[in-house]
Amino acid sequence: MTEVKMTRRDFIKTNAVAAAAATAGMSVPGVALAQARGGDGVRWDKGVCRYCGTGCGVLVGTKEGKIVATQGDPDCPVNSGLNCVKGYFLAKIQYGQDRLTRPLLRMKDGKFDKNGEFTPISWDQAFDIMAEKVKATMKNPDQGPFGVSMFGSGQWTIWEGYAANKLMKAGFRSNSIDPNARHCMASAVFAFIRTFGADEPMGVYDDIEHADAFALWGSNMAEMHPILWSRITNRRLTAKHVKIHVLSTFGHRSCELADNELIFNPQSDLAIANYICNYIIQTGAVNKDFVAKNVTFHKGVTDIGYGLRPNHPLEQAAGNNGYPGADGKPKGNPNAFSPTTYDEFAKFVSEYTLDKAHQISGVPKDKLEALAKIYADPKIKVMSTWTMGMNQHTRGTWINNMLYNIHLLVGKISEPGNSPFSLTGQPSACGTAREVGTFAHRLPADMVIMNPAHREAAEKIWKVPAGTISDRIGYHAVQQSRMLKDGKIGFYWTSTTNNMQAGPNVNQEIYPGWRNPKAFVVVSDVYPTVSAMSADLILPCAMWMEKEGAFGNAERRGQFWRQQVKAPGECRSDLWQYIEFSKRFKTDEVWPAELLDKNPQYKGKTLYEVLYANGQVNMFPKEEAAKVNAHAWAGYTNEETEAFGYYVQKGLFEEYRRFGTGKAKDLGEFDHYHRVRGLRWPVVNGKETLWRYREGYDPYVKAGEGIKFYGNPDGKARIFALPYQDPPEKPDNEYNLWLCTGRVLEHWHSGSMTRRVPELYKSFPDAVIWIHPKDAEKRGIKRNDIVKVATRRGEIELRAETKGRNKMPEGLVFVPFFDEHRLVNKLILDATCPISKETDYKKNACKVWKA
Amino acid sequence: MIHGPKGLQDMNISSVIVIPHPERIEAVRSQLAKLAGVEVAAVSPEGKIIVTLESEGDRETIQMYESISLMDGVMSASMVYHQKEDEPEVEISLAA
Repeated sequence: MTEVKMTRRDFIKTNAVAAAAATAGMSVPGVALAQARGGDGVRWDKGVCRYCGTGCGVLVGTKEGKIVATQGDPDCPVNSGLNCVKGYFLAKIQYGQDRLTRPLLRMKDGKFDKNGEFTPISWDQAFDIMAEKVKATMKNPDQGPFGVSMFGSGQWTIWEGYAANKLMKAGFRSNSIDPNARHCMASAVFAFIRTFGADEPMGVYDDIEHADAFALWGSNMAEMHPILWSRITNRRLTAKHVKIHVLSTFGHRSCELADNELIFNPQSDLAIANYICNYIIQTGAVNKDFVAKNVTFHKGVTDIGYGLRPNHPLEQAAGNNGYPGADGKPKGNPNAFSPTTYDEFAKFVSEYTLDKAHQISGVPKDKLEALAKIYADPKIKVMSTWTMGMNQHTRGTWINNMLYNIHLLVGKISEPGNSPFSLTGQPSACGTAREVGTFAHRLPADMVIMNPAHREAAEKIWKVPAGTISDRIGYHAVQQSRMLKDGKIGFYWTSTTNNMQAGPNVNQEIYPGWRNPKAFVVVSDVYPTVSAMSADLILPCAMWMEKEGAFGNAERRGQFWRQQVKAPGECRSDLWQYIEFSKRFKTDEVWPAELLDKNPQYKGKTLYEVLYANGQVNMFPKEEAAKVNAHAWAGYTNEETEAFGYYVQKGLFEEYRRFGTGKAKDLGEFDHYHRVRGLRWPVVNGKETLWRYREGYDPYVKAGEGIKFYGNPDGKARIFALPYQDPPEKPDNEYNLWLCTGRVLEHWHSGSMTRRVPELYKSFPDAVIWIHPKDAEKRGIKRNDIVKVATRRGEIELRAETKGRNKMPEGLVFVPFFDEHRLVNKLILDATCPISKETDYKKNACKVWKA
Repeated sequence: MIHGPKGLQDMNISSVIVIPHPERIEAVRSQLAKLAGVEVAAVSPEGKIIVTLESEGDRETIQMYESISLMDGVMSASMVYHQKEDEPEVEISLAA
């Protein structure tokens, strides 16, 4: 044995290279991973990244009660040790200097005053005034139970969303709870339900390593999903035949790897999708066996409006928007459809010729054909990915449906590499917002409040009387802002979201709503965001590793983590807030007399006793926390377990799990998740499922069935005939540019966390407007000039950028939304997809001039 | 792969996996080699490049990382390993 002398610098570099080599699957001669250094007092445990929907595993290092380091988790199959720039600084997000640590109420002369100054109060005082406002709202004839409203988050942990959903729908009997995921992937959800009768992708990230071609439909993965993008770039580099097609309304980082870059006119993706179906049919590429066995054809209603306020001229004219008509009855239903045939469908799309698609989209014909060919060629396995470009769209549900049309016509679905894959932007948009069903119309496991059998099933699992859950759909996100402004919501509680920055039409709808004297607005958050500062009461929250948590990512993977550190000051988790607040209400105060008369055993009980101390949620004693997590460290516990005296997270999860078990929504056992790097549902007999709907992969498809889209009663997926239609607003002589909004690599969404990491803040401090050099020149604007951008809703001022990572076509500008000092969402029209109610943040008409 | 951050800002050492455009592997490699504080540690037969970054603080590390990820011909750049070291020149002995 010889002894080698080296400096610590060289030693660390050797380790760094060895780690990268192991991750990249490379062997580097002479480099072996050095002995792990122990004795530095750092405790390492598995965790999940706090940002996007990719769900990267991170190792979290804790020392003396503080997170001191994070690194990509080499054992997590999602990212195999890789980190993006945001993930690299995860350790810092909990330690911003302006962290909120005490409840703050607007007060004047010792009392609540809507125009008072934020004043520290105790949690007791905070819950006092909240309970008072909830009770007053319920009694107010203009408001009632649905006037008690909550706006939650795809960043809620699974049990937080579950506890909130239960408090609202079973406790307050209000379905006016909606997640910010409404702004993000509601269109994806509605299309999944329309086409497959079941939410969430059939494929998994493993599709990346099996695909021969990728098509990005309105997704800049290089910046927004960098780790998935690194998997795609790795596939492109190591399999020479692989080709990448990128569709976008402007050039961005993902286009640089594109073999085929398709820059299309806003909204024309609808025409492109129909052209591809037409191409497949005209060239005889339809997979006839697959279609005959697995697909039915339908025609969706058109003339569905744009989700604007009912008095808007476009809604007055719409015949199928579902709004009350002159006779008071709903005008049709935007989600309606009727059966048609393959021949009718073929005829319907036949008008979308190459010429027409080119004319509407502006994309050169050879590029359109090249894209159509990858879908038509039976030898090419295609993975389509998309995020906000398709979801934030006034025809968002349609374009999602239309992409499935393409995959279904050629049978390229539910097998390795053939995968229409809807990506998500938040860490638990799937796990919490969708699976727990925190939308205004949903219950857990794809059930809906409109269905009596679903309500009954939920009432049984929750052990609440029949008839507790209302059959009326609650206020969705955009409607909540309108109802606040109209005085119909009296109590509004938001958490883990920043709607004053991220919601549409801030100046005309959201701000006036929040400041309406008829509303009391509570914001649970960790930093003084624009939303917190616009509230009446701020509640300081525990975040990320300060609580035990669970997220569900875009590939159906649920991942758990243990509480690593204590939250500062008086910060409390959202979970604690919901459960503790429920103690303030007796059933007699919030349930109607007739419900209690029929079920006298519930009389005089608190909502806490009914919802949480129900013999299920509280069934695992305190000691269980240490037992379940003994493999991580001895004596583990968490704040909520200590506060309530039982292992709350396990009780909630085990109750929640009952909704999906046996219904192809099976989740694993609570303890299992704490031991592994996630499980992809359905988890049957402890085994996860990779490709759904296909025999051999999905335990719900029986031998001999091959493919079965069992979400629909007939076991078949639906193809929809849907047309191209114009958006509600287009550039004209005055507002002569398209305005598109979105994100950048360094910041996550509204920047509440990333702007508090100095390194990220400095690398991209202020939002800029990207504009084509010719559009700038026409307006006398030079690069770095301060310019004004205005729509019919308002104006903002920011710096012009003509170069850099985004390359604008003439006629379109791009502004990211992370910057709280340049609130681009003031400019955005609150027009939505009328089916999904998701706002279109991508297509507004604006003008730009030198300030 | 367990590392122990010191909380000091003296020396940051990181490794990054760079995936270049398949037609621009050599160009990216030579561009990377020109950056101060960046060393090309290995290139795989397909063209994946492992680089180390040495800097005096997180901000510099990020600037180096950003200039790599925005470099022409670079398709993706992912962080893998990161360690802070306050005594980089101390000599240590390893059994080999």
